[in-house]
Amino acid sequence: MTKSEKFQQVENYIVENQHAHYRLAYSYVKNKESALDIIQDSIMKALRSIDSLEQTQYLKTWFYRILINTSIDFIHKNKRMVVVEDEVLDFHLPSQEMDVPDIDLYEAIDHLTPEQKTLIILRFFEDMKIEDIAKMLGVNQNTIKTRLYAALRKLRTNMEEKVKV
Amino acid sequence: MSKLNDSKKQYNDIEIPTELKQVVSKSVQTVKREQSKKKPSFKKFGIGVVAAAAIFVASVNMNPALAQSLSVVPILGSIVQVVSIQEITIEEDTYNADLKTPNVTGLTNKELENSLNEKYIAENKELYEGFQKEMEALKEAGGGHLGVASTYEVVTDTDEILSISRYAVNIVGSSSTTMRIDTIDKKNEVLITLPSLFKDDKGYIETISTYIKGEMKKEMAADEMNMYWIAGEEDSFDGFDTIRPDQTFSITSDHKLTISFDKYEVAPGSMGVITFEIPTDVIKEELISDYYIK
Repeated sequence: MTKSEKFQQVENYIVENQHAHYRLAYSYVKNKESALDIIQDSIMKALRSIDSLEQTQYLKTWFYRILINTSIDFIHKNKRMVVVEDEVLDFHLPSQEMDVPDIDLYEAIDHLTPEQKTLIILRFFEDMKIEDIAKMLGVNQNTIKTRLYAALRKLRTNMEEKVKV
Repeated sequence: MSKLNDSKKQYNDIEIPTELKQVVSKSVQTVKREQSKKKPSFKKFGIGVVAAAAIFVASVNMNPALAQSLSVVPILGSIVQVVSIQEITIEEDTYNADLKTPNVTGLTNKELENSLNEKYIAENKELYEGFQKEMEALKEAGGGHLGVASTYEVVTDTDEILSISRYAVNIVGSSSTTMRIDTIDKKNEVLITLPSLFKDDKGYIETISTYIKGEMKKEMAADEMNMYWIAGEEDSFDGFDTIRPDQTFSITSDHKLTISFDKYEVAPGSMGVITFEIPTDVIKEELISDYYIK
């Protein structure tokens, strides 16, 4: 395959899967502008380093790795994003008492670290195999499993705490 | 974890902004544009070709059977058409000469092939003799630095066109560089000359010269590091006026005409050898056909 054919293939993939990519980026930053920035960054990084993609069968793995790294970098760099303590948040938000029974897993996921969030999103929302996630993150499968369980455990405790309130 | 499916639905319901499509295509286009600009610059391209040619020449020289088999492989057949036949190297303290002579093979038009090859040998012979003469003179005068180098590179090699450029660098204190390019129509096996591309003898000279002068002015205005001597402009008593009918030219693999000037020909030495690509639109009216240049 010539370089231009490879470029074309990557371009097609990026265009076809833009919604999924956007959702993933959005779930890290929870705002449209930042998510679009991440998408733009990731696409440019990917296309510029197209030589690092050796086999196009790993196209998805390769692109997700770039996308995830870009998202996590973005969060780490972006000092403006302040994690608000739950108490402060509860004080400002409309009373959630009525919602307690429906306490949302989706929200709880936001309290995970970006790295843990990645695992939950890829495994449960994107339905990826542990094997593929391991490849994507460059970590072995057992480590992924361990981390995934740890993330789930944390989710559960987070939710239980909330329910108790 | 029964809520996982609800969460997944929420995830899939993340609203896709209308701008997304635009951001995606803009990002792709940006990189595309970058990469088309990054097309091998003259220098980079040269090193690659020279390196490839060096390895290739080495293997051809080492193994006649390999050369034989290569010439029947169609893709490599075209590479076989230019090889070094002669390399003269002199290395004495302050006197250096490194002359590489290209040799074109594989044309059925032997007359053309021979005339090119004889010319290449003659060019290098002249350089070599000039070098020897100057070296003797310098030695008598008590010594000095002297260098000459010539090399060649295949600028364009497509199914239709083979373009070989030869560089000669003279080093006496500062250096001067001359570049000559031969462009051959591989299918019809003829040597293409600059006037042969155009309908009449005069019109193209003016059109191209005017275009180049305009580009020179533009480049000078854009960056004060760029400097050209243009006839009729201030500070320039002997600047560039018009191209010569035998001006160094080449045809790129995407069918564009390029015009080159030797070091010092139209600009200070710091500008080196200068090449302008002439947009086909500029010369469209003057071209005999769009066979070579599109």
